[in-house]
Amino acid sequence: MSGAVYRVRLHGRGGQGIKTAGRVLGTALFLEGFEVQDAPRYGAERRGAPIFAFVRAARGPILERGAIQRPDLVLVADDTVVVVPAAGVLAGVTSRTVMVLCSEQPEDVWRARLAPKGPLHVLPLPLEDRGATSLRHVGMACAGAAARLLGVVSLASLRKAIETELAGVGRAAIDSSLAAAERSFVALSEHAGAAAPGEPIAASGYERPVFVELLCEPVLEATAMVHGARTSELVKTGLWRTVRPEVHAELCHKCHWICASSCPDGAISASESGVARVDYDHCKGCGVCVVACPHHAIAAVPERSTEVPK
Amino acid sequence: MKDTRFAHLKDIPSAHLLGAGTAMCAGCGGLLAVREIHEVLGDRTVFVNAAGCMTLLSTYPFTPFSGSFLYTAMASAPAGAQGVRDALDVLARKGRLAPEDDLSVVVLTGDGSASGMGLSATSAAIDRGLDFLYVCYDNEGYGNTGQQASATTPLGARTATTERGSVASKKDLFGIWAANRPAYVATAIGSEPVDLARKVEKASKIRGPKLLLVLAPCPTGWGFESDQLVEIGRLAVKTGAWPLKEVEGGKIVHTKVPPKRAPVEEYLRAQGRFAHLFEPSRDEATLASIQQSVDAYWRTVTVG
Ligand SMILES: Cc1ncc(C[n+]2csc(CCOP(=O)(O)OP(=O)(O)O)c2C)c(N)n1
Ligand code: SF4
Ligand SMILES: [Mg+2]
Repeated sequence: MSGAVYRVRLHGRGGQGIKTAGRVLGTALFLEGFEVQDAPRYGAERRGAPIFAFVRAARGPILERGAIQRPDLVLVADDTVVVVPAAGVLAGVTSRTVMVLCSEQPEDVWRARLAPKGPLHVLPLPLEDRGATSLRHVGMACAGAAARLLGVVSLASLRKAIETELAGVGRAAIDSSLAAAERSFVALSEHAGAAAPGEPIAASGYERPVFVELLCEPVLEATAMVHGARTSELVKTGLWRTVRPEVHAELCHKCHWICASSCPDGAISASESGVARVDYDHCKGCGVCVVACPHHAIAAVPERSTEVPK
Repeated sequence: MKDTRFAHLKDIPSAHLLGAGTAMCAGCGGLLAVREIHEVLGDRTVFVNAAGCMTLLSTYPFTPFSGSFLYTAMASAPAGAQGVRDALDVLARKGRLAPEDDLSVVVLTGDGSASGMGLSATSAAIDRGLDFLYVCYDNEGYGNTGQQASATTPLGARTATTERGSVASKKDLFGIWAANRPAYVATAIGSEPVDLARKVEKASKIRGPKLLLVLAPCPTGWGFESDQLVEIGRLAVKTGAWPLKEVEGGKIVHTKVPPKRAPVEEYLRAQGRFAHLFEPSRDEATLASIQQSVDAYWRTVTVG
């Protein structure tokens, strides 16, 4: 299988350890003697926004660069990113791509939703993250699953990679990460090696970039200028949310300036009755208002467990 | 404080001049401060930005601002502000800009830029008496590029480039600015909105260089859960780690003195970037040295 390249993509949100998971998997493969590339990829958006990391590994030099277009293995740490088009979870997925989702929904639900042509596995949420407001161990669970599905990483190398990459975050965090990774490593043992490496992509197979001829324009036309105010509101950052603040009208004392003035995104205003109202199109789910409300009238509800209120 | 519109939180306008939908992290303390500042300044404002996290507020074709926004190179925001101010003045002189249509020019910069490569342009703008408000949101590191240490990273803080904790102390940007004798200098924080609003209000009534240093708790770079944003800010003030002050008539005035300062440990413990000071064993020497520098600061403060 000389020249074959493993291509793994890990999806999730900023803050869920996706970048670290990529590094852990990369280091584990390196310890097994592979040549490795691992890199996170995110846009202008931050914590809470969809991101992905990718890992390539081969027994010889890797000549490919850039994001992975044709993955052998795709792992989704946070199932809420699947519906975000910009996250590109399904990009380049074929019948030979193995998919893994960390989800509370069972496998048949995901099969029905995604109709994958290839194998699909669902991992339960890591014990460490159940009931927690933010998912901190899903990335590590995916790293463990990836290591097992590739079938070329030993548990010892996985453990060593976690110790190396997490050094400095404190013993407790390392231990819980080890536990989360190991559990999924073990859970997928009967599928060890299911994700096979793909053939190297020859330079001749690359698609040529399309060049667009641009005329020199007067600077005022050629400069990127926005003439409208607050056009950012067209961007629905509500899709970042994993936890939703819910205002309980019966507890709300109508002192909306308290919660509203603490919201970094300006996503809280007063309704006609004076009760605080959350703009779910834009609320990123930071939870600052939940803590700020002196009357505990705002509850933090995991996004996945409920329907979006009208 | 007399002559202020802001006696209570309720008095702060909530016109939502800064739109939602920006790329800042959930729970960003810098964004909270910028929102409050825009609200007080109004929409006749030009924000001139140095490269940093807040650059991503305006990514074509999206902008959250009701006023204008101009992106400049990292070291050059005060020079950009000078250009904008000059252009407005020329238009006014030619009778092409009515006084009521004038705009106020505001620099929006991070601490890395403000305390490093942007410092000389800032000093020069103060020397020239430029009429502008300079806002530095201080997240104590190069946030946009992954929180490397900046000159304003505090002692002991772990960053991407100080994995065992910074051995350098935080640069005193307030002191440096004040020594340049601009028209107005103040510190603030988003979790004290009334104090911040009064300072912005006061600055907007003064001609000349006005500088505002706003502590910007950063969940991503500092390692705390996003919902703790306001709590971290309160601890910064309550422990005396972040003094709220302004320079009035050449004299430093503290606008909110913690009645009984809580141990600075309470503030440090709440943040992942200081976790190594507590685990696996307490780094007594560093903890004591941080507390001592806070105590030493407050010993110099004469209240009243
Ligand atoms: C001359 C120059 N050097 C480096 C960079 C890369 N860069 C972009 S943002 C940034 C960090 C700026 O830090 P700070 O001023 O503290 O703002 P923050 O990112 O924390 O908001 C750096 C180093 C740049 N844009 N220009
Ligand atoms: S890295 Fe910090 S300062 Fe930058 S957007 Fe995120 S929270 Fe704000
Ligand atoms: Mg900074």
